[in-house]
Amino acid sequence: MKSFKHVNAKTVDEAVELLKDHGGKANLIAGGTDLLGVLKDKILPEYPETIINIKTISGLDYIKEDGKGLKIGALSSLRDIANSPTIKGKYKVLSDAAESVASPEIRNMGTIGGNLTQDVRCWYYRVPQRIGGPIMCPRKGSGQCMAVQGDNRYHAIMGAKKCFAVCPSDTAVALAALDAIIKAVGPNGERTIPVKDFYQPLNNALNVEEIVTEIEVPKPPDGARHQFLKFTLRKPIDFAIVSVASVIAVEDGVCTDARIALGAVAPAPLRATQAEEAIKGKAIDDAIAESAAESAVAGSKPLSMNAYKVDITKTLVKRAIVS
Amino acid sequence: MAKEYRYVGKPTPRVDAEEIVTGEAEYIDDLNLPDMLYGKVLRSPYPHANILNIETSKAESLPGVRAVLTYKNVPDWKAGFPEHMCVLDSKVRFVGDAVALVAAETEEIADEALELIDVEYEQLPAVYDMEEARKPDAPQLYSQFPGNIAPGGLPFFGPNTLQNIVRGDVEKGFEEADFVAEGTYGYENKPNPLTPEPPGAIVRWEGPDKLTVWTSTQSPYLVKKVIGKALGLPNLRVIASQCGASFGSKNCSTEVIFYAAALAKAVRRGRPVKVVYSKEEHLAAYAVRFSSRINAKVGIKKDGTVTAFSGEWLANPGHSVNATQGEIAVGLGEAQVMLKCDNWNLQPRIVLTNQTGSGIIRGFGGQELKSAFLPILTMAMEKADIDPVEFFKRNYARTGDGYYWRDGEWWTCRGVDYSKAIDKGTETFGWKDKWKGWLKPTAVNGAKRRGVGCGVHGNADVGEDRSEAYVRLLPEGTAVLNVCIAESGGGQRSSLRKMVAELVNLPLDRVEITPKDTLLNPFEHGLAGSRGTYAVGSSVTRAAQDARQKLFERASPLLGVSPDDVDTEDGMLYVKSNPQSRIRWIDAMGGDERIITGLGSFDPDYSMPCFFMIFVEVEVDVETGQTELLIVTGATDVGQVIDPVSLKMQLEGALGSAGLDSALFEETVMDKNTGHVLTGNMVDYKWRTSLELPTFQNVIVETPLPSHIFGAIGAGEVTTSPAPSAVLMAVSNAIGKRVTTYPVTPDKILKAWSER
Repeated sequence: MKSFKHVNAKTVDEAVELLKDHGGKANLIAGGTDLLGVLKDKILPEYPETIINIKTISGLDYIKEDGKGLKIGALSSLRDIANSPTIKGKYKVLSDAAESVASPEIRNMGTIGGNLTQDVRCWYYRVPQRIGGPIMCPRKGSGQCMAVQGDNRYHAIMGAKKCFAVCPSDTAVALAALDAIIKAVGPNGERTIPVKDFYQPLNNALNVEEIVTEIEVPKPPDGARHQFLKFTLRKPIDFAIVSVASVIAVEDGVCTDARIALGAVAPAPLRATQAEEAIKGKAIDDAIAESAAESAVAGSKPLSMNAYKVDITKTLVKRAIVS
Repeated sequence: MAKEYRYVGKPTPRVDAEEIVTGEAEYIDDLNLPDMLYGKVLRSPYPHANILNIETSKAESLPGVRAVLTYKNVPDWKAGFPEHMCVLDSKVRFVGDAVALVAAETEEIADEALELIDVEYEQLPAVYDMEEARKPDAPQLYSQFPGNIAPGGLPFFGPNTLQNIVRGDVEKGFEEADFVAEGTYGYENKPNPLTPEPPGAIVRWEGPDKLTVWTSTQSPYLVKKVIGKALGLPNLRVIASQCGASFGSKNCSTEVIFYAAALAKAVRRGRPVKVVYSKEEHLAAYAVRFSSRINAKVGIKKDGTVTAFSGEWLANPGHSVNATQGEIAVGLGEAQVMLKCDNWNLQPRIVLTNQTGSGIIRGFGGQELKSAFLPILTMAMEKADIDPVEFFKRNYARTGDGYYWRDGEWWTCRGVDYSKAIDKGTETFGWKDKWKGWLKPTAVNGAKRRGVGCGVHGNADVGEDRSEAYVRLLPEGTAVLNVCIAESGGGQRSSLRKMVAELVNLPLDRVEITPKDTLLNPFEHGLAGSRGTYAVGSSVTRAAQDARQKLFERASPLLGVSPDDVDTEDGMLYVKSNPQSRIRWIDAMGGDERIITGLGSFDPDYSMPCFFMIFVEVEVDVETGQTELLIVTGATDVGQVIDPVSLKMQLEGALGSAGLDSALFEETVMDKNTGHVLTGNMVDYKWRTSLELPTFQNVIVETPLPSHIFGAIGAGEVTTSPAPSAVLMAVSNAIGKRVTTYPVTPDKILKAWSER
C-alpha cells in the first residue's frame, strides 16, 4: 500500500472541516474493510493524500428507539445491529441483513455507514493494479463499461445505464424496505436523503465534503413479517447475487401493508412497487405470490449472461410473500 | 485383518502441529535474512503485446532501489518443455505477464519504483480458445511453436514419454459395440488449487556460480533439478520453508525463483532477494489447472465391456507449457487404469493461448482428462442402462491387466483388487437405495431435488521416481532420519518418522528428521502424486532396517546370539528368547564415538495403481439453481493405514484444491475481450469455507500390499480427481436433464431445468 497521512477526527464538524480542506483528496475511514482493499489494489485513478479516521468521533455508535422509530448512529457496527434486541424485534429485516454480511470479523469492524457507502464490487472495476489493472470505466471518469460486452453474470438486470454495477450493500436493501432516511452532514449543515435515492448512476448522493451521521428508520407496522432473503453461491463471505427484503403485514390472511425491496439487481436497491400493489388488500396464496413476483421483474433488461438473476429474483419475491 | 503395531495405524501428533497452531512455523514470508532486499514484479495490462520501449531510469534513481531488470538485462535462463520460458521477454503473452523486476530495500520502495517504469507496448491480437489458436491465421505466441502447438514428451519421464494411446483396432471395437456415444466436452474452468500460502522464494548468490534458494515447496530436490538445469549450475542448494500447502503447485515455483535469482544476481553479492507473491498474483498470474477439451467416441457392450475409445484430447496450458506433457502422459495412463479396453486411439494436443499459465496441480492430467470425457462415458452407460458403480467395478484395473504408463512402457498390474472397497463404499453410501436410474432423482421435495453420482480414480504414481534416505542410530538411543521432503500438509514428515520409530522401536520423540535442505540430505524426488507412503516410505524403511541390522550385528557377539535373534526396544538390545539378557545401544556401538548409518533407496515401479472412489449426494433447488452438497462418501483400500487422521484429511480434501468444487463454483474467470482475470481476489474466486462442509463418510479398507514393509499404499493425491464428474452426474440425476459444463452454477442449472 502507498503511504498516506492519517488524521484522527474528534467530531463530525472536524471531519467535515478536514474533508473540505483536502478538496476531494481525502477519504474517511471507519471500519476500513472496504477502503483498505480499494487502496491496496490501487483500483482508482486518484489515491488519497489523507485518510481521516472517524472511529475517534465519540457517541456516533448509538441505536435508539422511540415511538416514531429507530435512530442508528453511522458508526454502529454491523455486529451491534445484527445483535441488537431492539432491531431484532421490530426491525428484523435489518438485523437479518446485517447478519448476512461477509464474516464475523468483517461485521465486527464494519459500520452501517460504511456498509451503505462502500464501493461497488464490479469485477472489472476491482481488477487490481498489480495484475494488469486498473480498468477504467464511466464510474472512474473515462472509458466504457466493460461488463456490457463482457462477463456480466453478477451485474444489473434493471435500472442501469452507464454503469451496470449493482449496489453491494445488504443493509441498504433492508433500509429501502423500511423507508429509511440517511442523514448527512456537510459544510452547509445537515440534510436527509431517502435510502432509495442515495444510490445514483455513477456514485452515491454524498458530495466529497459530506459524512453520513445517522440512519433514521420509521417504525414499521406492528406484527409485520420481516424477511431478508439473500442468494449467494456460498453462505458466508459472499455479496448478494440477488436479495429481497420484505416487510409484509397480514391480518386475517389478507395483506394490509407490503414493502418489498430488491437488492443486487440494479445500481440501487429498488422497491418492487408493482409487486407490493399486487398483494395489498389480497388474500395471500401461491398464485398471488407468483403474479406479484412476475410484476417485480417486469421492467428487467438482462445482459448477455445474467438472465438467471431474473429467475432468482422471481423465486425470492415469491418466497418472501408466501413463506 | 491389519497387523498390530506400536505406532503404525494409530493417530499420533504431527511433528509440526504445535509450531503451526502457535504461529511459530516459518513459512517463506516469515524468513528474513540479514541484508535482504525485496523483489516486485511489474505486470502487463495486455494479453499479447511487444514491448517497443521500456524506460527505467526514474525507477533506478529512486532512493532505496538496488536493481531494475527488463528483458534487456536479465540473465538468459529458460524453463519449460522444451525450453521457452524466459525470465523476462520482449513480448508479453497474458495479462499479468512479467514486464520488469525491481529489488529495493523495502516492499514499499519496490512498489513505488514499479510505478515509475514507463512501458510502450505494441498490442497484438490475442487468442484464448484452443480451437481458435490452432487455426492457420491465429496469433502466434512463440516462433518455436508453429500453430501454437507444443510438442509432446517430457525429458524427466524418459525418452519414450507416453504421448498417445494407440492399442488394438478401434474400428473393429466400434463394430463390436452395442452402444456408441460421442461428443465434445470440456473441463475448462481453470480452477486454482489456492494454497493458503502464496508462492515465494528467497535467493542468495554465494559465489559467481553458487547459490542458495529458500522456497516454499514440498520437494527441494525437484527445485534443485529444475532450477539447476535452467541456470546451468550444479552448485545449487535448496532449503524448503514450512510449506503452506502445495497441491502440486509448489513442487517448483520456477518463475518466482527466476525473479529472485535474477534480482539477487544483479545486486551486491551476498544480499538475498525475497519475492513472495500477493494473493492477487497467486490468483491471476500463477499456476492454475490446465484447460481440457475432448472430442471422443466410446463404444460399450450391454454388459459394460468397453470395446473402443477414440478421440482427440486438447490441453490448453495457457501462455506457456511447463509440465503439461507429463500431465498428459500420466492422464493417459490413468484413463487405462480406470477403463479396461483393448482398442484405443487417443491423441492429445497441447495448444497454447494468451491465458494465465498452468502448472503441476494435484490430479495431474488424469483429473483433466477424466472430467472432460466422463460426460461421454456416462452417455454410453445411460444408453446401455448400466449402473455406474457396476460399470466402474467391472472396468478398473486388476492384477494381470496392463496399461502403458508415463514412461511409454507396458506395465502389468500387480496391485490389489479394489472390489472390496467399492462394495463397502456402495453399502455405506446406500447407493442401491439412492440410485434410481439415469436422470432420475433420488428424492423430490417441492423445488428441492436430490441426486447421486459417483466416480473412480487411481494412479500408478505411488511407485514413481527415485528416493534415497539415511537413518542414523545414535549411541544414546536416539535416531535421525535424513529425508529431503518438506511438510505440505499431508503429514508425511510425521508419518515417515513414525515408520522409523516403529522399526527401530524408539519413542517417537527420540526420532528426529533433518531440515529440508538438499545440502544435508540424500536424493529424494519429493512429494509428488501419492508417492509419500510407498516410494518415500520404502526408501526410509529400508534405511531403518539397514541401520537396525547393522546394530544387531554389533550386538550379536556381545549377547552371544545370532543377529536374527536380537531385538530392540527404547534404546536397549535384547535376546528375543531371553528378554532379560539386555545391553544398551551404546554398549553395542562400543562407546559414544560411533554412529550407525543405514541406507535405503527406492527405484520406480509403476505396477501398482492406487484407488479412490467417491459417492456424492446433492440437493438442487430448481427455482434458484442452487446446489447443496449433502454427503460425500470416499472409499479406498490403502493396504495399511499409517496415520488415520492424516488419511482422513486427505480423503476429505477431495473438496478443495481445485477438486470437487470445480464442479460447483471454483473457476478462474477471464474477460474474453481483454484477457483480464476477473477473479483475482478471495471474494470473487469462489472457494468453500469450513462453514459449508458436507457429511463425510470415509470407508478405508486395508488389504496388505506384499511389496511394502507395512503393506501400505498411498491414496492422497487422487481423491480430488473423480469428484467433479461425479457431481455433474448427481446434478443431472437430480434435475432429470444432463448438465455437462463445469462448474454447474445456478445459471446453467436453471437453463437446463427450463429445457428439460
